[in-house]
Amino acid sequence: MAVKKDYKDQKLAEKLRDRKYYIPDSNPEFLKEVEKIGQTPAHMCYQCGTCTGSCPSAPRSSYRIRLFMRKAVLGLEEEALTDPDLWLCTTCYSCTDRCPRDLAPTDAIMAMRNLAFKRDIVPRNFLQTVQLIYKSGHGVPNNDANRAARKKLGLDEEPETTHKYPEYLPGIQKILDHYKLKENADRILAEGA
Amino acid sequence: MAEDKYKEARIGVFLCHCGTNIAGTIDIDAVREYAKTIPNVVVVDNYAYMCSTPGQNKIADAIKEQNLTGIVVAACTPRLHEPTFRNATAAGGLNPFRFEMANIRDQNSWVHMHQPEEATEKAKDAVRIAVAKASLLEDLIPKSVPVEKTAMVVGGGVGGMQAALDLADAGIKTYLVEKSPTIGGRMSQLDKTFPTLDCSQCILTPKMVDVYRNKNIELLTYTEVEAVEGYIGNFDVTLRKKARGVLTPAEAEARGIVGGGCTGCGDCAEVCPVIKPNPFELGMAPRKAIYIYHPQVSPLIYTVDFDSCVKCGLCVESCGDKKAIDLDAKDELITVKVGTAILALGYDIYPIEKKFEWGYKNYDNVITSLEFERLICASGPTGGHLIRPSDGETPKRIAFVLCAGSRDNTDTGKPYCSRFCCMYSLKHAHQIIEKIPGAVPYIFYMDIRSFGKMYEEFYYRIQNEGAKFIRGRVANITEDPVTKNLHVNAEDTLLGRPIDMEVDMVVLAAAIQPSAETEKTRRLFGVSCSQDGWLLEAHPKLNPCGTTTAGVYLAGVCQGPKDIPDTVAQAEGAASAASIPIHKGEVELEPYFAVCLEDKCAGCGMCVYQCPYSALSLVEKDGRTVMHVTEAKCKGCGTCGGFCPGGAIWMQHFASPQIVAQIDAFLLGGEQ
Amino acid sequence: MSGNNHQYAFFLGCIAPNRYPGIEAAAIQTSKNVGIDLLPLKGASCCPAPGAFGSIDLNVWYAMAARNLVLAEQMKMDIALVCNGCYKSIWEVNHKLKHNDELRDGVNEVLKEIDMEFKGTIDVWHLAELYYDPKVVGVKKIADSVKRPLTGSKVAVHYGCHLMKPGKERHFGDTENPMWMEELVAALGAEPVQYRNKMQCCGAGGGVRGYDITHALDITNEKLINLQEVGADALTEVCPFCQLQYDRGQIEIQDKFGVSWGLPVLHYNELLGLAQGMSPDELALDLHAVDVEPFLKKIL
Repeated sequence: MAVKKDYKDQKLAEKLRDRKYYIPDSNPEFLKEVEKIGQTPAHMCYQCGTCTGSCPSAPRSSYRIRLFMRKAVLGLEEEALTDPDLWLCTTCYSCTDRCPRDLAPTDAIMAMRNLAFKRDIVPRNFLQTVQLIYKSGHGVPNNDANRAARKKLGLDEEPETTHKYPEYLPGIQKILDHYKLKENADRILAEGA
Repeated sequence: MAEDKYKEARIGVFLCHCGTNIAGTIDIDAVREYAKTIPNVVVVDNYAYMCSTPGQNKIADAIKEQNLTGIVVAACTPRLHEPTFRNATAAGGLNPFRFEMANIRDQNSWVHMHQPEEATEKAKDAVRIAVAKASLLEDLIPKSVPVEKTAMVVGGGVGGMQAALDLADAGIKTYLVEKSPTIGGRMSQLDKTFPTLDCSQCILTPKMVDVYRNKNIELLTYTEVEAVEGYIGNFDVTLRKKARGVLTPAEAEARGIVGGGCTGCGDCAEVCPVIKPNPFELGMAPRKAIYIYHPQVSPLIYTVDFDSCVKCGLCVESCGDKKAIDLDAKDELITVKVGTAILALGYDIYPIEKKFEWGYKNYDNVITSLEFERLICASGPTGGHLIRPSDGETPKRIAFVLCAGSRDNTDTGKPYCSRFCCMYSLKHAHQIIEKIPGAVPYIFYMDIRSFGKMYEEFYYRIQNEGAKFIRGRVANITEDPVTKNLHVNAEDTLLGRPIDMEVDMVVLAAAIQPSAETEKTRRLFGVSCSQDGWLLEAHPKLNPCGTTTAGVYLAGVCQGPKDIPDTVAQAEGAASAASIPIHKGEVELEPYFAVCLEDKCAGCGMCVYQCPYSALSLVEKDGRTVMHVTEAKCKGCGTCGGFCPGGAIWMQHFASPQIVAQIDAFLLGGEQ
Repeated sequence: MSGNNHQYAFFLGCIAPNRYPGIEAAAIQTSKNVGIDLLPLKGASCCPAPGAFGSIDLNVWYAMAARNLVLAEQMKMDIALVCNGCYKSIWEVNHKLKHNDELRDGVNEVLKEIDMEFKGTIDVWHLAELYYDPKVVGVKKIADSVKRPLTGSKVAVHYGCHLMKPGKERHFGDTENPMWMEELVAALGAEPVQYRNKMQCCGAGGGVRGYDITHALDITNEKLINLQEVGADALTEVCPFCQLQYDRGQIEIQDKFGVSWGLPVLHYNELLGLAQGMSPDELALDLHAVDVEPFLKKIL
């Protein structure tokens, strides 16, 4: 366990905080969860860096997918799930295509995001998409300007989707309610507001 | 016959703990108590290590004291310790084939480690089944056959050459068979060798000359193995001497052309109008339709490439009175008899263009390490000047991509380490620092594997010379369409920073794979391979040169990636192993042949066609037609025995009553 | 004629019908011209967005996509679509549910609540791959359908990520330097141009566009730099979300970074529509954020 230093000065206590990795920092369940949700044997990562070298987000941020793989292997759940970089993966799958160990680092990231959501850690825009789909069936719904444009093209103002057939909406809402997604989205957004 | 023996049988059962390997899972006491209840069992004992001297003594002593007729040891695998326990059985005065093994380790305790109760029950089954067979075992006498005092080495690279030289020097006539027009193999394509920086050709060509001159070596270049028949001591190997179109002086003389034949003067190639890429130079230099790979070939005899020859006859004209060229030459099949054979089949470069992300064959300035060897070699296509294929300029910034296709578990890579790429890439780094002023090698690596003698010291030296090491596998390479420079993208994992390095040239240390001919050749010799295609040694540690086919041995990379010292060492080991049966003069064959029960045989001859080894024939005997087994050819596979409609074929050691007794013992659960 | 046409249930997604309706109109018309009928898939929803939904709860993503798949199963028709994001959801969930019994049982448990069942009876196709597939359309038929060749224009291709990657699950072969879309571009008479890092992401996916817009735009800008280097007159893609990122993204890049590019961005169906003789109005090209006019001047 990290050495406890009861320094009176909070600033100094933080500055000199014990940064060693101790076995109890690790949660082996985290690796298991990531592997189960992501359906990829993340523990086989040998840290070659092909993933980060392929990553379009890495050169413009501190996001290092290799380090997330490492944190999964070491069970550093807290560090991984609270890191805002977790949300910088564009899911381009270049790392997955090139990984010499035939792993899917992208899907490991998706698994970690799923686990973060269980702790209410999730960017607001993701939740807003949920609300829109609950209401209209679409993440990017129709609007008046678009309706006018569709009409000009000779298309129906509403596309042949839930927009034109709202009778399908209750089915969609039932699915989302099954997972309590709307409820959680509303709650988290309200708490953050 | 079998019934009588069953009644008299007195079986001893010996249970091995194998330390905790078996006893840690299986309840030995329970199995021992159970074994005592099995019919015919008169003594049961157990010991920590049955293979040890005290363990073996227990067997020998029990045979004498209890007048046993059969032995069962429940332990590891027959592959590991059947010979050990047969010897112990013989030491007790019993025929060694009255021994049966029950595998309760590899196929039981190791795989059922977490189910001890079920494992114990399974061990009881295994012991009961083995006892059933042991009760019916008979005395068998192995046969000896004489061994042909010649050997064959397939593959004329450095491994094959060394093996052939050793065999020849030990007084054994040796055929060295090489598919190319010259011996020398991959090593002759290399410029320098690590870590000594010897010139590869300089140390290889004396060996090539030795091979050519050695009176005990018959060198068969441009020749491939077509068929193999027979068994240890007596292989009949059919060889295809491909139509070379050029006569050696000896061949010319045989045709009555005195003083004729190829002298290697090269006048023919001079006038030949057909130009083709030279495979020795990996297509980076031209050759003619009549050619030699390079000036140091052995034998120095030209070869006609009949696929591209237009038969214009200019070469024949230029050859003049030597009359060495025969444009009507045809392939020739010859058969030779050898006692043992060594496979030294070498390797090919993995087609690294399959890793699309590195752009090989798409970007001009991405080359493989073998191409680098030719380009940096003074006798290579550029006279040793390393140049960029795109513009002929000298590259200054050169990236080396290690593990290119090796240690790669995708379907476009090889899972194994190719084992010499780290070291030759260090050598390449040294060579460009030495040859090109101001050049900087950038080595992208995951681990530097410098495990050989003086290898780590070599790594130290190259680092000291200024090579830059970047710990990260290359993600992808992109090409600047204008300059043809390359951008190498990776992560410097030690910095944790993505890196985009613009370089003039990239050298891919491509993985290696078994040579194209390996699969066909190994099947001819009946040699197994592992999943990755490398040939399977008899035992990875204790018999690394042998194979499971008696009389066939392995040398060099065909058994798995290895560098020159390891290849030569294994070649010498293989030569030594291959010479033993020849020096002994005879070999013992396992007596597992089919035996014809002549009174039951109707002489129908169906079995003759079933036999995959051509071991059976029909003969006249006492006025009747009966089947006859050539024991040396029979492998005891049982095809005929299982098929014979009259039950007239007795498979020694795997006879029907023995097998039926095993099945009964299993199915009846011990209730007789 | 249309009696012999290949018929597909047309999965619209969100951005094509609701932001670039020209893509929808173009897809219906251009595919009809090469022997494909796209029939309405009534009641379909968002695919749902693989980044947003997959990140929150993959199980919801499976179930929602499965609902869309079942609508097509009920029509007894394969799905065709025009968006890489939709392809990721609809193709991949179809693939996963067909090959993973545990997953399928879990999804069907939920679908039972709305009287639906995923059976795995149909396949999913991107319209672009149907265009390239000689068994369905093929490059030659595309070329034959051209009435107004796009001669004199240099067109670069953005393949997008979710159509072809991860390559080991998909069936497109080389994901590092594919050329099949270039063949489709060349069939229209335009000159396809190569540029550095062609296969890099547009920057929008995985929810990044919503989470950190400048980060997403910076990726887009890098691609625009590489496109500028080779003098592309237009960029074509097969994903309305990539199109949104490149098209509106250029306005946002101007706004946030003060860098302007003016590179017209057209969905391949819009490009094909132009080549088949559709007018810019019939394609609603006026809805594009970046003025398409300079490109039209080159070709008209």
